Amino acid sequence: MSEPRWIGQDVPRVDGVEKVTGAARYTADLKFPRMLHAHVVRSPHAHARVLDVRVEKALRVPGVRATATGREFPFHTGIYLKDQTIFATDRVRYWGDAVAAVAAETPEAAAEAAALVEVEYEPLPAIFEVDEGLQPGAPLVHPDLGHYECVPWVSPRAGTNVCNHVKVRKGDYEGALAACAHVFEHTFQVPQVQHVPLESHVAVARADLAGKVEVFTSAQSPFTVRHLLCACFSLPHGDVRVTVPAVGGGFGGKAGIGIEPVVVALAMKTRGRWVRLWIERAEEFYATVVRQGLTATLVSGVDRHGKVQAQKLHFLWNCGAYGGYGVNVVRAAGYTCGGAYEFPHVWGDSIGVYTNRPAGSAYRGFGMSEIHWALEQQMEMVAREMGIDPVEFRLRNCLGPGKSTVTGQVLDEHSGRVDRCITRVAEMLDLRPDRPRTPFHGAGMACAVKAPAMPNDASSSVVLKLAEDGVLEVLISGIDYGQGLKTVAAQFAAEAMDLPMESIRVRGNPDTDLSPYDWQTVASRQTWATGNAVLRAAEQLKTQLFAMAAQALGVPVSELECHNGSVVHPPSGRSLPITRLAMGYQFPDGHTIGGPVAAAASFVPEGLIFLDPETGQSPKPVAKWTFGAQALEVVVDPETGQYRVEKVAACYDVGKVVNPGMIHGQTYGGVMQGLGTGMMEELIVEKPSGRVANASLMDYKIPSTEDLPPEILVDYVETPQTDGPLGARGIGEHTMIPTAAALSNAIFDACGVRILEMPITAEKVLAGLKKQGSLGRCPGKTAASGSSAGDWGPGSGPDPGSGVRGPGSDLLPRSDVAGGEK
Amino acid sequence: MLLPSFAFSTARSVEEALELWACLPDAAYLAGGTDLLPQLRLGKRAHRNLIDLKRIQSLSRIRETEAGLAIGAAVPLADIARHPAVREHYPLLVECCRRVGAWPLQNRATLAGNICNASPAADTAVALLTLEAGVIAVSPEGERVISVTGLFRGPGQTCLRPGELVTEVVLPHASAGWHGSYQRLSRRQGMDLATVGVLVASSNGGAPPRHRVSLAAVAPTPLRVADAEALLDREGPRAARRAGELARDRCRPITDLRGSAEYRREMVGVLVARGVAALSGPSGIVVPGAGGPGPRTPDPGPQSQGERP
Amino acid sequence: MNQTISLRVNGLPETHEVPANQTLLQFLRETLDLTGAKEGCNEGECGACLVLLDGRAVNACLTLAVEADGREVTTIEGLGHAGDLHPLQAAFLKHAAVQCGFCTPGMIIAALGLLRDNPDPSEEDVRWAMSGNLCRCTGYRQIIDAVQEAAAAMRGDPAPEAAP
Repeated sequence: MSEPRWIGQDVPRVDGVEKVTGAARYTADLKFPRMLHAHVVRSPHAHARVLDVRVEKALRVPGVRATATGREFPFHTGIYLKDQTIFATDRVRYWGDAVAAVAAETPEAAAEAAALVEVEYEPLPAIFEVDEGLQPGAPLVHPDLGHYECVPWVSPRAGTNVCNHVKVRKGDYEGALAACAHVFEHTFQVPQVQHVPLESHVAVARADLAGKVEVFTSAQSPFTVRHLLCACFSLPHGDVRVTVPAVGGGFGGKAGIGIEPVVVALAMKTRGRWVRLWIERAEEFYATVVRQGLTATLVSGVDRHGKVQAQKLHFLWNCGAYGGYGVNVVRAAGYTCGGAYEFPHVWGDSIGVYTNRPAGSAYRGFGMSEIHWALEQQMEMVAREMGIDPVEFRLRNCLGPGKSTVTGQVLDEHSGRVDRCITRVAEMLDLRPDRPRTPFHGAGMACAVKAPAMPNDASSSVVLKLAEDGVLEVLISGIDYGQGLKTVAAQFAAEAMDLPMESIRVRGNPDTDLSPYDWQTVASRQTWATGNAVLRAAEQLKTQLFAMAAQALGVPVSELECHNGSVVHPPSGRSLPITRLAMGYQFPDGHTIGGPVAAAASFVPEGLIFLDPETGQSPKPVAKWTFGAQALEVVVDPETGQYRVEKVAACYDVGKVVNPGMIHGQTYGGVMQGLGTGMMEELIVEKPSGRVANASLMDYKIPSTEDLPPEILVDYVETPQTDGPLGARGIGEHTMIPTAAALSNAIFDACGVRILEMPITAEKVLAGLKKQGSLGRCPGKTAASGSSAGDWGPGSGPDPGSGVRGPGSDLLPRSDVAGGEK
Repeated sequence: MLLPSFAFSTARSVEEALELWACLPDAAYLAGGTDLLPQLRLGKRAHRNLIDLKRIQSLSRIRETEAGLAIGAAVPLADIARHPAVREHYPLLVECCRRVGAWPLQNRATLAGNICNASPAADTAVALLTLEAGVIAVSPEGERVISVTGLFRGPGQTCLRPGELVTEVVLPHASAGWHGSYQRLSRRQGMDLATVGVLVASSNGGAPPRHRVSLAAVAPTPLRVADAEALLDREGPRAARRAGELARDRCRPITDLRGSAEYRREMVGVLVARGVAALSGPSGIVVPGAGGPGPRTPDPGPQSQGERP
Repeated sequence: MNQTISLRVNGLPETHEVPANQTLLQFLRETLDLTGAKEGCNEGECGACLVLLDGRAVNACLTLAVEADGREVTTIEGLGHAGDLHPLQAAFLKHAAVQCGFCTPGMIIAALGLLRDNPDPSEEDVRWAMSGNLCRCTGYRQIIDAVQEAAAAMRGDPAPEAAP
């Protein structure tokens, strides 16, 4: 194609009018005659044996139609590791775990009856932190771990709390470390956080008398929901129909399968009646899914030239009570453990640990925000201890064409250029080492990288068909939950067919009975996968149109082109409008050729190779990488520890910008979600009850309009992706990956306080400032030395997790902050 | 979470409200409802009857009285914040009203409701304490005036007797002319309960000026710090740091989801000192949640000037 | 516990019997099938349920239906429609200020309430007035830009407000 007509244009959102007028129907907006309302009975214990569940009293509440329990539905669910049942069978594993459910004529009756379900528990000792879970003799969250069904690339360890362990062994880590001039070790913490989609989880289901189960659900993956419902209830795929109306945000929390089995179980006991389960905001925080916690210990061995030679990464994931999806976060963190850097010698372990906390799962970034919190701070700390400008240090160590990732994959010139992103954000915020400095103002940077973390055969398919009015209908099953997929699909279709935008209609609220297959809307994969499928289907569509037009015009197929709604023959100047061909072409004498024009096509990434289970090596473990970098400017109040983000710069190598307005929206949104986790978000689990103490929007704050930094600067690099549609690659998750780490680096730059535990509260900053004051603060420039893992280098002190670190280089010409006085 | 079942009555006069309360079991007065309804939902309060005050005309106005400015118990905070007399004479109250929840809540929530809810973190309480405001409380036994200082007894507790109805909040004439700034820390910049709230004010005119120091979210009730005030009266702004230390010693914060007791205590000292400094000019340091210039009051459009629906 | 209420919703009279404990949000969504206002938290923290009550933006989840008796309610459905969008709706589209769309009706109502009070808000005014409206997708930047552009458009045209 020549200069793109639609790709790169600010095409307004094709589902925009329905959203700004309130016409868009979300699952909770659907109404069915005599719809029943569900309520879930939840565990008041973090860990307990379930001895008995009695529903008799509940069933006597007027209006109650059914109850469902684990005894009736002892079926396993889970996408990669089937470690969860719909309702507890023998034990509950977190405070809020589902034990039973009730369906009633009114929500009031359902709630009243749920409170009357009698459950006999025998409390068990609970574990909440990864180190507790790994202790020998620790209580087992899943004593039956060895018997669960799972995909071959997940390795749960029977008899332990480890649900997955991914190893990455590249080069000779020990040998390389021993040869390094400088060694640094730090431990970082990331708490569990929640997605907080504005629309909480909701699903409506009916099982009819003919055996058909219909489900409307707020979900990211209708086909995966269908597939897993069929597996769970032993139903043929033809008997389960899943439809996804408009979705009010997901961020990974609605990936895989969620509350659907609960509502289907109730529907099976109330045949012919629709049953709705709508998770309340409080329940959303603990009883759906959350982002996993992380404890990351990093050891970096650096040579005299400031090149990291040996890198150890030890990730302990707090997976919570269930790891059905989270085991793949553990895997992704393994094969991406080196982030955006080239490390010649790597020793990586990514280990998922069960605890009696809310269940971890996918969350925008799929583990990358968490590991970047550790790695990007570690790189900054190493650079500063070495007296190297952190920007220069990153450029010296980052990945690029010809360099090899931790799995041994060698990148080529089409893999994306993190170096350009680093350079660009450094320009945007002026991060020159000799820039003028103001006390308590600082700036910091972090890089980002992520690949789609998905099974190697994750695919997308689309159907293109012409309607009677000549409009091209695009059927997709990727979910547009805000990221703009419908609009992007329309742009690719319009581009390929050279149609005006008003000649495209996207049908994108998939119905598994009618829509083409799509694996899931996750992993920043849709622009790329669905975009490719649309381009392929368009080629087939053109073949059909050209075959008819060639006959109609009496010209060779090879000389035909699509142009603005017509098939044209440039040599003769003759053309046929697509409206004349859409339903087949009729000659003047009445005889007709062709027929309604329709084509289907699919896309699956090719050439992906599983990781070696012992070394984690693979020449191509994933389909593509998207790289980027962000930098933040902050000002810290030394008396209160409060700080404000003044400016943000973000740059990503997206291959090709498809829609500027929407990609900016992804960036602003990701930055703010990243700032939320960096600044204020943390699920607080009380011990020993396991109760989530801040399960409300009053107590769990996410950023508001007043928290938006005054300035967010955005830019993009466009290194075309070889297998990307017009070179495009994914960006949806990447925009939040580096933000929290860049924030922490900026705060250190501003005031010399290093926060290792997310989130960065004002209290932590103030405590750091005071500790710094009491230590006489700034150790000043000291040359790091030593050559073994036991030698930490002056100024970096062998106390990882202290949370406080004095600036160790002359890059911080700042006022004296001793005593917290300004 | 669903609202439990209750009956709803509309009072047309204060007398009717009192009568309804007397004859209806487990009744509560309903003003803005922004605290009451969530508390009912969460089961923190239980009432079988709600008596709506918003149709009582005498409670829906702001009027000048001999004693000062009387703000009806049903007037939403947003109307108070844009009332010309309040804006002219009681800017501190405007500033605090505009920090309660978010604006849509201010369109419903009332001043009387905000203080009768007796949250230790009530933003308007620090203004009312500073202004030495009182409330008029009415019961079948008659009417009494309670100083806001004397109103609070503990978290969620006031000295109001069962069935007693606050009809108006009265700002004395003498409290006109207090100026200062509300120094407030919270977890995020937007809508959030205060982690610490400090209002330091001084009186216009008179030499030397007099001072008031009021605190929120650092004790079971909002409170004034008399000895810090006396110190500032005696020694003026140069005693800022010591006034902060006195206030720090007087507060009794707890550790909760918004902050630790230790942090809150320390911040009281810092914010009092800053509040004093701000009296003689804008604070040199503007930090998240710590007051600063704050948003402008939107200019009332011509159609909404002083108007009540 | 039921009571009869009469009110105007998007300009049209409605008379219904409602339970005393029904919120205005439930009434609009369930009885009138006006599902534009969303339930995001049911505690006045997210703003997805905003409607205008006698011209002022309020949380419909914290307002009882009976409290709306005799009053005028405007929901997102009372603004524009395809082909005749309200300037705020058009500006949200133009600025890509919509993603999942769940917060969008509440955002537009909040902005409408603000612009009635203050036709020329500064960015600071917009941020303050809309801080009770959460959005997890957009990061707010484009929403704020859209409100300011719509304000300008509305100032330029003295009668831009669509029905009611």
